[in-house]
Amino acid sequence: MSTATEDVDLVGEEIAANVARAALFAALTGVFAYVSFQLPVTSVPFTLQVLGVFLAGVFLGPVWGAASMVIYVVAGAVGAPVFAYGSAGLGSLFGQWGGYLWSYPFAAAVVGVGVHGAGDLVDPDTVGLGRLVGAMAAGTVLIYAFGTVGYAVVGEVSLVTAVLAAAVPFVPAEAIKAAATVAIVRSDAVVAR
Amino acid sequence: MLTYEPGDSVGHRLDARSKLLLQASFAAAAFGHTDPVGLAVLTGLTLALLALASTTPGVVLAEYRGVLPFLAAAPVIESLRFGAPWVDPVAAVDPALAAYRTVLLLALVAAYVRTTPVRESEAAVARLVPGKLGRLLGLGVGLVFRFLPVLQADLARTREAMAARLGDRRPLRDRVRIVATAGLTRALSRTDRLAVALRARCLSWNPTPPEATFGREDALALGLAAALAGWAMWPAAATAPW
Repeated sequence: MSTATEDVDLVGEEIAANVARAALFAALTGVFAYVSFQLPVTSVPFTLQVLGVFLAGVFLGPVWGAASMVIYVVAGAVGAPVFAYGSAGLGSLFGQWGGYLWSYPFAAAVVGVGVHGAGDLVDPDTVGLGRLVGAMAAGTVLIYAFGTVGYAVVGEVSLVTAVLAAAVPFVPAEAIKAAATVAIVRSDAVVAR
Repeated sequence: MLTYEPGDSVGHRLDARSKLLLQASFAAAAFGHTDPVGLAVLTGLTLALLALASTTPGVVLAEYRGVLPFLAAAPVIESLRFGAPWVDPVAAVDPALAAYRTVLLLALVAAYVRTTPVRESEAAVARLVPGKLGRLLGLGVGLVFRFLPVLQADLARTREAMAARLGDRRPLRDRVRIVATAGLTRALSRTDRLAVALRARCLSWNPTPPEATFGREDALALGLAAALAGWAMWPAAATAPW
Protein backbone atom coordinates (compact mmCIF):
# COMPACT_ATOMS: atom_id res chain seq x y z
CA MET A 1 0.00 0.00 0.00
CA SER A 2 1.40 3.35 -0.92
CA THR A 3 0.62 6.77 0.37
CA ALA A 4 0.59 9.65 -2.03
CA THR A 5 2.03 12.80 -0.56
CA GLU A 6 1.64 16.03 -2.41
CA ASP A 7 2.18 19.59 -1.32
CA VAL A 8 -1.01 21.52 -0.73
CA ASP A 9 -0.68 24.89 -2.37
CA LEU A 10 -2.99 27.17 -0.37
CA VAL A 11 -4.89 30.02 -1.98
CA GLY A 12 -3.98 33.37 -0.41
CA GLU A 13 -6.44 35.14 1.91
CA GLU A 14 -7.00 38.10 -0.35
CA ILE A 15 -7.68 35.99 -3.43
CA ALA A 16 -10.00 33.65 -1.50
CA ALA A 17 -12.02 36.63 -0.23
CA ASN A 18 -12.18 38.18 -3.68
CA VAL A 19 -13.23 34.92 -5.33
CA ALA A 20 -15.98 34.53 -2.73
CA ARG A 21 -17.23 38.04 -3.46
CA ALA A 22 -16.99 37.66 -7.23
CA ALA A 23 -18.89 34.36 -7.10
CA LEU A 24 -21.60 35.79 -4.83
CA PHE A 25 -22.07 38.82 -7.08
CA ALA A 26 -22.29 36.45 -10.06
CA ALA A 27 -24.94 34.41 -8.23
CA LEU A 28 -26.78 37.62 -7.28
CA THR A 29 -26.79 38.67 -10.95
CA GLY A 30 -28.16 35.24 -11.75
CA VAL A 31 -30.96 35.66 -9.20
CA PHE A 32 -31.69 39.15 -10.52
CA ALA A 33 -32.26 37.52 -13.91
CA TYR A 34 -35.39 35.86 -12.46
CA VAL A 35 -36.78 38.92 -10.76
CA SER A 36 -39.00 40.46 -13.36
CA PHE A 37 -40.86 43.73 -13.08
CA GLN A 38 -43.22 45.31 -15.58
CA LEU A 39 -42.67 48.79 -16.90
CA PRO A 40 -45.71 51.00 -16.41
CA VAL A 41 -47.64 51.97 -19.59
CA THR A 42 -45.82 49.60 -21.98
CA SER A 43 -45.96 46.63 -19.55
CA VAL A 44 -42.75 45.26 -21.05
CA PRO A 45 -41.31 42.78 -18.53
CA PHE A 46 -37.68 43.46 -17.62
CA THR A 47 -35.20 41.65 -15.38
CA LEU A 48 -32.59 43.11 -13.05
CA GLN A 49 -29.46 41.44 -14.51
CA VAL A 50 -27.91 44.75 -15.56
CA LEU A 51 -28.31 45.92 -11.96
CA GLY A 52 -25.99 43.04 -11.02
CA VAL A 53 -23.49 44.30 -13.60
CA PHE A 54 -23.67 47.84 -12.14
CA LEU A 55 -23.29 46.59 -8.56
CA ALA A 56 -20.33 44.36 -9.48
CA GLY A 57 -18.55 47.29 -11.11
CA VAL A 58 -19.35 49.70 -8.27
CA PHE A 59 -18.59 47.41 -5.30
CA LEU A 60 -15.86 45.10 -6.69
CA GLY A 61 -13.98 47.49 -8.96
CA PRO A 62 -12.87 46.95 -12.54
CA VAL A 63 -10.80 43.76 -12.14
CA TRP A 64 -12.89 41.64 -9.78
CA GLY A 65 -16.11 43.12 -11.15
CA ALA A 66 -15.18 41.87 -14.60
CA ALA A 67 -14.02 38.56 -13.10
CA SER A 68 -17.40 38.23 -11.39
CA MET A 69 -19.21 38.67 -14.69
CA VAL A 70 -16.88 36.17 -16.40
CA ILE A 71 -17.85 33.67 -13.69
CA TYR A 72 -21.52 34.54 -14.32
CA VAL A 73 -21.24 33.95 -18.08
CA VAL A 74 -19.20 30.74 -17.72
CA ALA A 75 -21.55 29.38 -15.04
CA GLY A 76 -24.47 30.04 -17.35
CA ALA A 77 -22.63 28.50 -20.29
CA VAL A 78 -22.07 25.23 -18.42
CA GLY A 79 -25.68 25.06 -17.30
CA ALA A 80 -26.43 27.15 -14.20
CA PRO A 81 -29.86 28.63 -14.95
CA VAL A 82 -28.67 32.23 -14.50
CA PHE A 83 -29.56 33.89 -17.79
CA ALA A 84 -32.81 35.81 -18.32
CA TYR A 85 -35.92 33.79 -17.43
CA GLY A 86 -33.83 30.90 -16.14
CA SER A 87 -32.22 29.93 -19.42
CA ALA A 88 -28.63 28.66 -19.62
CA GLY A 89 -26.10 26.91 -21.78
CA LEU A 90 -23.47 27.43 -24.41
CA GLY A 91 -26.20 27.92 -27.03
CA SER A 92 -27.48 31.03 -25.22
CA LEU A 93 -24.15 32.76 -25.83
CA PHE A 94 -24.64 32.27 -29.57
CA GLY A 95 -28.38 32.94 -29.48
CA GLN A 96 -30.15 36.15 -30.32
CA TRP A 97 -29.43 37.79 -26.95
CA GLY A 98 -25.89 36.45 -26.70
CA GLY A 99 -24.46 39.92 -27.39
CA TYR A 100 -25.82 41.16 -24.07
CA LEU A 101 -24.14 38.32 -22.19
CA TRP A 102 -20.76 38.88 -23.89
CA SER A 103 -20.94 42.56 -22.94
CA TYR A 104 -21.33 42.08 -19.16
CA PRO A 105 -17.65 41.57 -18.23
CA PHE A 106 -16.63 44.59 -20.30
CA ALA A 107 -19.49 46.69 -18.94
CA ALA A 108 -18.60 45.80 -15.33
CA ALA A 109 -14.99 46.79 -16.07
CA VAL A 110 -16.12 50.10 -17.60
CA VAL A 111 -18.36 50.87 -14.61
CA GLY A 112 -15.53 49.89 -12.25
CA VAL A 113 -12.98 52.12 -13.98
CA GLY A 114 -15.50 54.96 -14.10
CA VAL A 115 -16.17 54.76 -10.36
CA HIS A 116 -12.78 53.75 -8.97
CA GLY A 117 -10.31 54.99 -11.57
CA ALA A 118 -7.30 52.88 -12.46
CA GLY A 119 -5.70 52.68 -9.00
CA ASP A 120 -6.90 51.30 -5.65
CA LEU A 121 -10.59 50.87 -4.87
CA VAL A 122 -12.37 53.82 -3.28
CA ASP A 123 -15.49 53.86 -1.09
CA PRO A 124 -18.31 54.28 -3.65
CA ASP A 125 -20.22 56.46 -1.18
CA THR A 126 -17.54 59.16 -1.57
CA VAL A 127 -17.78 59.19 -5.37
CA GLY A 128 -19.71 62.11 -6.87
CA LEU A 129 -23.18 61.58 -8.33
CA GLY A 130 -22.13 62.72 -11.81
CA ARG A 131 -19.30 60.23 -11.88
CA LEU A 132 -21.51 57.33 -10.71
CA VAL A 133 -24.22 58.09 -13.26
CA GLY A 134 -21.65 58.69 -16.02
CA ALA A 135 -19.96 55.36 -15.35
CA MET A 136 -23.29 53.50 -15.45
CA ALA A 137 -24.38 55.36 -18.58
CA ALA A 138 -21.15 54.31 -20.29
CA GLY A 139 -21.72 50.72 -19.15
CA THR A 140 -25.29 50.80 -20.45
CA VAL A 141 -24.19 52.11 -23.84
CA LEU A 142 -21.63 49.31 -24.08
CA ILE A 143 -24.20 46.65 -23.12
CA TYR A 144 -26.72 47.86 -25.70
CA ALA A 145 -24.05 48.24 -28.39
CA PHE A 146 -23.02 44.59 -27.95
CA GLY A 147 -26.64 43.52 -27.49
CA THR A 148 -28.21 45.14 -30.53
CA VAL A 149 -25.33 44.29 -32.86
CA GLY A 150 -25.48 40.69 -31.64
CA TYR A 151 -29.25 40.63 -32.14
CA ALA A 152 -28.92 42.05 -35.66
CA VAL A 153 -26.12 39.67 -36.72
CA VAL A 154 -27.50 36.48 -35.17
CA GLY A 155 -31.14 37.25 -35.95
CA GLU A 156 -30.26 38.32 -39.51
CA VAL A 157 -32.31 41.47 -39.18
CA SER A 158 -31.43 45.11 -39.86
CA LEU A 159 -29.88 47.21 -37.12
CA VAL A 160 -33.06 49.30 -36.98
CA THR A 161 -35.18 46.23 -36.25
CA ALA A 162 -32.66 45.11 -33.66
CA VAL A 163 -32.84 48.48 -31.91
CA LEU A 164 -36.66 48.41 -32.02
CA ALA A 165 -36.97 44.82 -30.78
CA ALA A 166 -34.04 44.46 -28.40
CA ALA A 167 -33.14 47.92 -27.08
CA VAL A 168 -35.91 50.54 -27.17
CA PRO A 169 -38.40 48.61 -24.97
CA PHE A 170 -35.77 48.10 -22.26
CA VAL A 171 -33.89 51.40 -22.08
CA PRO A 172 -36.35 53.09 -19.64
CA ALA A 173 -35.76 50.19 -17.25
CA GLU A 174 -32.00 50.87 -17.26
CA ALA A 175 -32.62 54.36 -15.89
CA ILE A 176 -34.58 52.79 -13.02
CA LYS A 177 -31.74 50.34 -12.33
CA ALA A 178 -29.13 53.12 -12.37
CA ALA A 179 -31.27 55.14 -9.93
CA ALA A 180 -31.57 52.07 -7.69
CA THR A 181 -27.78 51.61 -7.75
CA VAL A 182 -27.23 55.23 -6.73
CA ALA A 183 -29.80 54.85 -3.92
CA ILE A 184 -28.05 51.68 -2.69
CA VAL A 185 -24.61 53.30 -2.75
CA ARG A 186 -25.91 56.34 -0.88
CA SER A 187 -27.97 54.40 1.69
CA ASP A 188 -26.55 53.27 5.02
CA ALA A 189 -28.09 49.81 4.63
CA VAL A 190 -25.21 48.53 2.56
CA VAL A 191 -21.65 48.95 3.74
CA ALA A 192 -18.92 48.05 1.27
CA ARG A 193 -16.17 46.10 2.98
CA MET B 1 -36.91 25.66 -13.66
CA LEU B 2 -34.24 24.08 -15.81
CA THR B 3 -32.30 21.73 -13.54
CA TYR B 4 -30.53 18.39 -13.36
CA GLU B 5 -32.79 15.34 -13.48
CA PRO B 6 -31.14 12.12 -12.31
CA GLY B 7 -31.39 9.29 -14.83
CA ASP B 8 -29.55 6.63 -16.78
CA SER B 9 -29.84 7.79 -20.39
CA VAL B 10 -26.96 8.00 -22.86
CA GLY B 11 -26.93 11.74 -22.22
CA HIS B 12 -26.37 11.14 -18.50
CA ARG B 13 -23.45 8.79 -19.14
CA LEU B 14 -21.55 11.17 -21.43
CA ASP B 15 -18.69 13.26 -20.08
CA ALA B 16 -19.65 16.95 -19.57
CA ARG B 17 -16.83 18.04 -21.88
CA SER B 18 -18.11 15.89 -24.77
CA LYS B 19 -21.54 17.46 -24.34
CA LEU B 20 -20.12 20.99 -24.31
CA LEU B 21 -18.06 20.28 -27.42
CA LEU B 22 -21.07 18.78 -29.15
CA GLN B 23 -23.08 21.92 -28.37
CA ALA B 24 -20.33 24.18 -29.71
CA SER B 25 -19.96 22.27 -32.99
CA PHE B 26 -23.76 22.05 -33.33
CA ALA B 27 -23.90 25.85 -32.97
CA ALA B 28 -21.18 26.22 -35.63
CA ALA B 29 -23.06 23.90 -38.00
CA ALA B 30 -26.33 25.74 -37.36
CA PHE B 31 -24.71 29.09 -38.16
CA GLY B 32 -23.08 27.67 -41.31
CA HIS B 33 -26.33 26.13 -42.58
CA THR B 34 -29.18 28.47 -41.64
CA ASP B 35 -31.28 27.40 -44.65
CA PRO B 36 -34.41 25.19 -44.74
CA VAL B 37 -32.46 22.02 -45.68
CA GLY B 38 -29.72 22.54 -43.11
CA LEU B 39 -32.17 23.33 -40.34
CA ALA B 40 -34.33 20.31 -41.27
CA VAL B 41 -31.27 18.05 -40.89
CA LEU B 42 -30.37 19.72 -37.58
CA THR B 43 -33.97 19.40 -36.36
CA GLY B 44 -33.79 15.64 -36.92
CA LEU B 45 -30.46 15.54 -35.08
CA THR B 46 -31.86 17.64 -32.23
CA LEU B 47 -34.84 15.31 -31.82
CA ALA B 48 -32.50 12.29 -31.77
CA LEU B 49 -30.22 13.91 -29.18
CA LEU B 50 -33.21 14.92 -27.04
CA ALA B 51 -34.45 11.32 -27.13
CA LEU B 52 -30.99 10.09 -26.06
CA ALA B 53 -31.12 12.53 -23.14
CA SER B 54 -34.67 11.39 -22.19
CA THR B 55 -35.98 14.94 -22.70
CA THR B 56 -39.19 15.39 -24.66
CA PRO B 57 -39.73 18.40 -26.99
CA GLY B 58 -42.73 19.32 -24.82
CA VAL B 59 -40.44 19.78 -21.81
CA VAL B 60 -38.18 22.06 -23.88
CA LEU B 61 -41.09 24.23 -25.04
CA ALA B 62 -42.43 24.47 -21.49
CA GLU B 63 -38.98 25.57 -20.21
CA TYR B 64 -38.69 28.36 -22.75
CA ARG B 65 -42.28 29.61 -22.89
CA GLY B 66 -41.11 32.97 -21.52
CA VAL B 67 -38.51 33.38 -24.27
CA LEU B 68 -40.52 32.28 -27.33
CA PRO B 69 -42.62 35.49 -27.73
CA PHE B 70 -39.42 37.56 -27.88
CA LEU B 71 -38.03 35.21 -30.53
CA ALA B 72 -41.16 35.64 -32.65
CA ALA B 73 -40.91 39.45 -32.43
CA ALA B 74 -37.93 39.87 -34.80
CA PRO B 75 -39.47 38.29 -37.94
CA VAL B 76 -42.73 40.13 -37.31
CA ILE B 77 -41.05 43.54 -36.96
CA GLU B 78 -38.77 42.87 -39.94
CA SER B 79 -41.73 42.07 -42.23
CA LEU B 80 -43.54 45.36 -41.44
CA ARG B 81 -43.15 48.23 -43.93
CA PHE B 82 -43.84 51.92 -43.54
CA GLY B 83 -46.15 52.14 -46.55
CA ALA B 84 -48.20 49.93 -48.88
CA PRO B 85 -48.34 46.94 -48.82
CA TRP B 86 -47.37 47.33 -45.11
CA VAL B 87 -46.41 43.69 -44.76
CA ASP B 88 -43.60 42.05 -46.71
CA PRO B 89 -43.57 38.33 -45.84
CA VAL B 90 -40.39 37.64 -47.86
CA ALA B 91 -38.35 39.86 -45.53
CA ALA B 92 -39.44 37.71 -42.58
CA VAL B 93 -37.97 34.47 -43.97
CA ASP B 94 -34.33 34.94 -42.90
CA PRO B 95 -35.14 36.25 -39.39
CA ALA B 96 -37.62 33.40 -38.94
CA LEU B 97 -34.95 30.84 -39.85
CA ALA B 98 -32.52 32.53 -37.45
CA ALA B 99 -35.12 32.50 -34.66
CA TYR B 100 -35.78 28.80 -35.31
CA ARG B 101 -32.03 28.15 -35.11
CA THR B 102 -32.02 29.73 -31.64
CA VAL B 103 -34.85 27.35 -30.63
CA LEU B 104 -32.71 24.36 -31.68
CA LEU B 105 -29.70 25.65 -29.72
CA LEU B 106 -31.87 26.19 -26.64
CA ALA B 107 -33.26 22.65 -26.96
CA LEU B 108 -29.72 21.23 -26.71
CA VAL B 109 -29.07 23.46 -23.70
CA ALA B 110 -32.13 21.99 -21.97
CA ALA B 111 -30.88 18.46 -22.71
CA TYR B 112 -27.42 19.34 -21.33
CA VAL B 113 -28.67 20.91 -18.12
CA ARG B 114 -31.11 18.07 -17.44
CA THR B 115 -28.42 15.40 -17.84
CA THR B 116 -25.35 16.99 -16.22
CA PRO B 117 -24.82 17.25 -12.44
CA VAL B 118 -23.27 20.45 -11.10
CA ARG B 119 -20.06 18.79 -9.91
CA GLU B 120 -19.30 17.56 -13.42
CA SER B 121 -19.89 20.97 -14.98
CA GLU B 122 -17.58 22.50 -12.39
CA ALA B 123 -14.86 19.92 -13.06
CA ALA B 124 -15.28 20.37 -16.82
CA VAL B 125 -14.53 24.10 -16.46
CA ALA B 126 -11.46 23.44 -14.32
CA ARG B 127 -10.19 20.89 -16.87
CA LEU B 128 -10.92 22.96 -19.98
CA VAL B 129 -9.25 26.14 -18.68
CA PRO B 130 -5.65 25.40 -17.68
CA GLY B 131 -3.81 26.42 -14.53
CA LYS B 132 -4.81 28.63 -11.64
CA LEU B 133 -7.25 30.57 -13.80
CA GLY B 134 -9.17 27.38 -14.45
CA ARG B 135 -9.15 26.51 -10.75
CA LEU B 136 -10.57 29.92 -9.80
CA LEU B 137 -13.13 29.81 -12.59
CA GLY B 138 -14.21 26.28 -11.64
CA LEU B 139 -14.44 27.32 -7.99
CA GLY B 140 -16.46 30.42 -8.88
CA VAL B 141 -18.81 28.40 -11.08
CA GLY B 142 -19.33 25.84 -8.31
CA LEU B 143 -20.11 28.61 -5.81
CA VAL B 144 -22.63 30.15 -8.23
CA PHE B 145 -24.43 26.80 -8.50
CA ARG B 146 -24.51 26.44 -4.69
CA PHE B 147 -25.56 29.97 -3.83
CA LEU B 148 -28.10 30.50 -6.58
CA PRO B 149 -30.96 28.71 -4.74
CA VAL B 150 -30.00 30.35 -1.43
CA LEU B 151 -30.01 33.89 -2.79
CA GLN B 152 -33.13 33.09 -4.76
CA ALA B 153 -34.90 32.13 -1.54
CA ASP B 154 -33.62 35.37 0.08
CA LEU B 155 -35.13 37.47 -2.68
CA ALA B 156 -38.38 35.48 -2.77
CA ARG B 157 -38.82 36.10 0.98
CA THR B 158 -38.13 39.80 0.46
CA ARG B 159 -40.76 40.06 -2.26
CA GLU B 160 -43.29 38.12 -0.19
CA ALA B 161 -42.68 40.32 2.83
CA MET B 162 -43.02 43.37 0.62
CA ALA B 163 -46.30 42.12 -0.85
CA ALA B 164 -47.64 41.32 2.63
CA ARG B 165 -47.11 44.96 3.61
CA LEU B 166 -48.73 46.19 0.38
CA GLY B 167 -45.25 47.14 -0.84
CA ASP B 168 -46.18 45.90 -4.30
CA ARG B 169 -48.33 49.02 -4.70
CA ARG B 170 -45.34 51.31 -4.29
CA PRO B 171 -43.80 52.98 -7.34
CA LEU B 172 -41.64 50.74 -9.55
CA ARG B 173 -38.46 52.62 -8.63
CA ASP B 174 -38.98 51.95 -4.90
CA ARG B 175 -39.75 48.28 -5.48
CA VAL B 176 -36.58 47.76 -7.54
CA ARG B 177 -34.51 49.58 -4.91
CA ILE B 178 -35.94 47.58 -2.00
CA VAL B 179 -35.45 44.21 -3.68
CA ALA B 180 -31.94 45.10 -4.82
CA THR B 181 -30.86 46.43 -1.41
CA ALA B 182 -32.15 43.34 0.36
CA GLY B 183 -30.45 41.05 -2.16
CA LEU B 184 -27.16 42.89 -1.88
CA THR B 185 -27.06 43.03 1.94
CA ARG B 186 -27.82 39.30 2.17
CA ALA B 187 -25.20 38.52 -0.47
CA LEU B 188 -22.54 40.62 1.27
CA SER B 189 -23.13 39.03 4.68
CA ARG B 190 -22.99 35.57 3.09
CA THR B 191 -19.77 36.58 1.32
CA ASP B 192 -18.03 37.35 4.60
CA ARG B 193 -19.00 34.03 6.13
CA LEU B 194 -18.05 32.18 2.95
CA ALA B 195 -14.61 33.82 2.81
CA VAL B 196 -13.90 32.77 6.40
CA ALA B 197 -15.16 29.25 5.68
CA LEU B 198 -12.99 28.94 2.56
CA ARG B 199 -9.88 29.90 4.51
CA ALA B 200 -10.79 27.66 7.45
CA ARG B 201 -11.07 24.69 5.07
CA CYS B 202 -7.64 25.35 3.54
CA LEU B 203 -8.77 26.34 0.07
CA SER B 204 -5.99 25.07 -2.18
CA TRP B 205 -4.89 25.47 -5.77
CA ASN B 206 -4.62 21.69 -6.25
CA PRO B 207 -7.71 19.86 -4.94
CA THR B 208 -8.50 16.24 -5.79
CA PRO B 209 -10.64 16.32 -8.93
CA PRO B 210 -13.61 13.97 -9.45
CA GLU B 211 -12.89 10.93 -11.59
CA ALA B 212 -13.05 11.63 -15.32
CA THR B 213 -15.08 9.09 -17.27
CA PHE B 214 -14.42 8.72 -20.96
CA GLY B 215 -16.23 5.81 -22.55
CA ARG B 216 -17.18 4.45 -25.94
CA GLU B 217 -20.18 6.78 -26.06
CA ASP B 218 -17.90 9.79 -25.60
CA ALA B 219 -15.85 8.67 -28.59
CA LEU B 220 -19.06 8.54 -30.64
CA ALA B 221 -20.09 11.98 -29.37
CA LEU B 222 -16.68 13.42 -30.28
CA GLY B 223 -16.98 11.82 -33.73
CA LEU B 224 -20.38 13.45 -34.19
CA ALA B 225 -18.96 16.79 -32.99
CA ALA B 226 -16.09 16.52 -35.50
CA ALA B 227 -18.55 15.67 -38.30
CA LEU B 228 -20.70 18.68 -37.41
CA ALA B 229 -17.64 20.96 -37.29
CA GLY B 230 -16.53 19.64 -40.70
CA TRP B 231 -20.01 20.20 -42.11
CA ALA B 232 -19.97 23.74 -40.67
CA MET B 233 -16.69 24.45 -42.49
CA TRP B 234 -17.84 22.86 -45.76
CA PRO B 235 -19.45 25.90 -47.48
CA ALA B 236 -16.30 27.99 -46.86
CA ALA B 237 -13.95 25.19 -47.89
CA ALA B 238 -15.89 24.34 -51.07
CA THR B 239 -15.73 27.91 -52.38
CA ALA B 240 -12.09 28.49 -51.37
CA PRO B 241 -9.71 29.28 -54.27
CA TRP B 242 -7.63 26.06 -54.00
